[in-house]
Amino acid sequence: MAITFHIPGALREFTGGRGRVEINDSPATVGDALLALWILYPGIRDRVATEQGLVREHINIFVGEENIRYTGGLATPVPSGAEISIVPAVSGG
Amino acid sequence: MIGQVLGHCRVVAKIGEGGMGVVYRAYDEILHRDVALKVLKKTEALERSTGQDLLQEARASSSLAHPNICTIYEIGETEGELYIVMELVEGKSLRAMTGETGLPPESVLRYGVQIASALARAHDRGIVHRDLKAANIVITAEGLVKVLDFGLAKKVGSAIFDAPTRSLATLGEASSVSGTLPYIAPEILSGEPADYRSDLWALGVVLYEAASGRLPFGGRTSFEVSSAILREIPAALGHPVPPGLWAVIQRCLAKEPMQRYQLASEVLAALEAVQSSATVFLDVPGDRSSPPIVSMHSVRHANVKKGDVLLLVGTTKGAFILRSSTQRSRWDVGGPYFHGHSVYAMAYDDRSGQHRIWASTQNPWGTLLRSSDDFGKSWTNPQQAPVRFPLDTGMSLKNIWQITPGRADEPDVLYCGVEPAALFETRDGGQSWSLIRGLFDHPHRPRWMPGNGGLSLHTILLDPANKQRMYIAISSGGVYRTEDGGSTWTAQNRGVRAMFMPNKYPEFGQCVHKIALHPARPERLFLQNHWGVYRSDNCAESWTDIANGIPSDFGFPVLVHPRNPDCVYIVPVESDEFRCACDGRLRVYRTRNAGASWEPLSRGLPQKGAYETVVRDALAADPLEPLGIYVGTRSGQLFASRDEGKTWHKILDGLPSAVCVRAAVVEGASGETVRKLAERPSRTAPSPKKSRNSRKTRQSKKG
Repeated sequence: MAITFHIPGALREFTGGRGRVEINDSPATVGDALLALWILYPGIRDRVATEQGLVREHINIFVGEENIRYTGGLATPVPSGAEISIVPAVSGG
Repeated sequence: MIGQVLGHCRVVAKIGEGGMGVVYRAYDEILHRDVALKVLKKTEALERSTGQDLLQEARASSSLAHPNICTIYEIGETEGELYIVMELVEGKSLRAMTGETGLPPESVLRYGVQIASALARAHDRGIVHRDLKAANIVITAEGLVKVLDFGLAKKVGSAIFDAPTRSLATLGEASSVSGTLPYIAPEILSGEPADYRSDLWALGVVLYEAASGRLPFGGRTSFEVSSAILREIPAALGHPVPPGLWAVIQRCLAKEPMQRYQLASEVLAALEAVQSSATVFLDVPGDRSSPPIVSMHSVRHANVKKGDVLLLVGTTKGAFILRSSTQRSRWDVGGPYFHGHSVYAMAYDDRSGQHRIWASTQNPWGTLLRSSDDFGKSWTNPQQAPVRFPLDTGMSLKNIWQITPGRADEPDVLYCGVEPAALFETRDGGQSWSLIRGLFDHPHRPRWMPGNGGLSLHTILLDPANKQRMYIAISSGGVYRTEDGGSTWTAQNRGVRAMFMPNKYPEFGQCVHKIALHPARPERLFLQNHWGVYRSDNCAESWTDIANGIPSDFGFPVLVHPRNPDCVYIVPVESDEFRCACDGRLRVYRTRNAGASWEPLSRGLPQKGAYETVVRDALAADPLEPLGIYVGTRSGQLFASRDEGKTWHKILDGLPSAVCVRAAVVEGASGETVRKLAERPSRTAPSPKKSRNSRKTRQSKKG
């Protein structure tokens, strides 16, 4: 079953305006799912991750309602049909 | 095993051990020759393949009579163990020869030609190597290349993940992928079968590694490595790698097999052409193509024309572009550009007749270097961040603090100073940037300490008279100078205080806030320190305190008059603890005798309750006569003087915190012409400049 990414407004210029992106694949982990997302939409890659491949400090990724920071990071398993949200954190000045 | 006879070969000694098995020196007792004998490790994959298969492969490979291919003589089985008898090659692996800094380009070309020649022969015979890597290439004492293990990879499957590779976590789908991860082509990672072009990818990786000592796609985990292979563009290889060789490597490393060379013989021809110094023109595919452009429709633009004074203001929440006639009395304001992004660095670059504005933008989605050729109406919005730390550094870009165009006669050269402290360089007008390793690898680097603004390299000065000499300044690291174009750097802080260290005059570690030099007298530099104002008259060999009579020697910016090397401007603040204008009076201080004495300039500046701060890049001058000077403050006010600082007036207030101010006069083509060029991408530009032409073909899209 496809998984779905929810794309925030700031990144939609890289998804042709799409707020939802379905990936017809069964990635095992969030890392694999992100890899699949940025093969489709390469511009998202550097916005979400640093050049070292880590999720940026002030960006959060949720699988369902769980922030992956507390569920194993990029190794967090992705259940079939999962909804993954990319959300900027509450921060800044 | 020593002393045993396999087939008709007696095992003499163990030579080595790899992922595939153990290799022995042996003696063929029938043909009376030394041979190498490889006994394959038993693995699940190996057990799945039949001896018949291996035999077939070995037969095919043994037909590859070629001076650069290690010949396979025989394959057999004894006591359930498979072994291969092959030509004994004595030499060092290319991996072992390369070391950490890479081989000289001549050697890379000499070996590259032989490897390509071996591949061309194999591909002609329908054989794909599938596991070409530096460890599989041996160079004999005579300089002859021997490519090992042809045609074996396919049958051995995942077993060939050898020792260095296994230090990375094994790929999830390793069982379906054959090869060594850093050399595997993207199409194989995506599940496509390997073909000749996958070998050409691996050849690109081998050449990159041989030329630089580094893998083009690295990482600490297989996820990072695969992600890099699929998405990343490797860091550019600059001097001493000739551009022709770099172009060949890039084409081998095109993500799409269709965009690579299609035949090994084409790579061979290209490498030979570079060898004979013929120019190789290749259009390099991939992400290095022009970045998309975003038009700023909802932003008010200043209508910049030829002869205008241009003012660039970077703030913590966006950028502004202002214009005025040379009267400098009324200002037309464009912006804010990059809503909500911090813009710590801006630059105007009019070398080669272009009108390019550069800006660094930072927000939670990362830091980007962007440019505009139409005074802000549209900006590049690269998919991949152009300035980025290579994977092997383990570092991530936090901010770009300085954008410095190169010398006038090198219009495609620019530098960026970044946080964490490092220097980047482009030699192609900003299409590709590379880390200057000479500074990054400096032994002092681990002992530099972050200041209030992070550990930043914030100032880059080029000596206009000596192309090999440049200076950089780091908070807190101090001033460093190169005399060889960036390969080596020395700390140049003699006489500069470090109040926060037990030794007040250390070799390095000073918190230098800004340095400046005068182009007509480049041996002279001025320095505003974290406590202390200094001058050097000997290329920063030593510094003299010149804080004679100023209310505080704490401050951030220092500006040299563009026509008078004795005239310098600073903006002192009260102290480290209270970084605000002394006594609530905003005063710029000027010396006209190289620091022997200073005078306050305050007419028109707020002199009551003005607890203003002017940060290191928020003081700038235009090139006009009399000099125009511009000051941006933390409270978002922008002041200007058009009489060298005698009197001041406020241009703007209510801005976000101003962190960068740059001023210039727009020369050359009129603004109208420039805008027309930008809006009609298909028309030929009058300028012959390559990068400008390529930008004109970019797609415009609504942002």
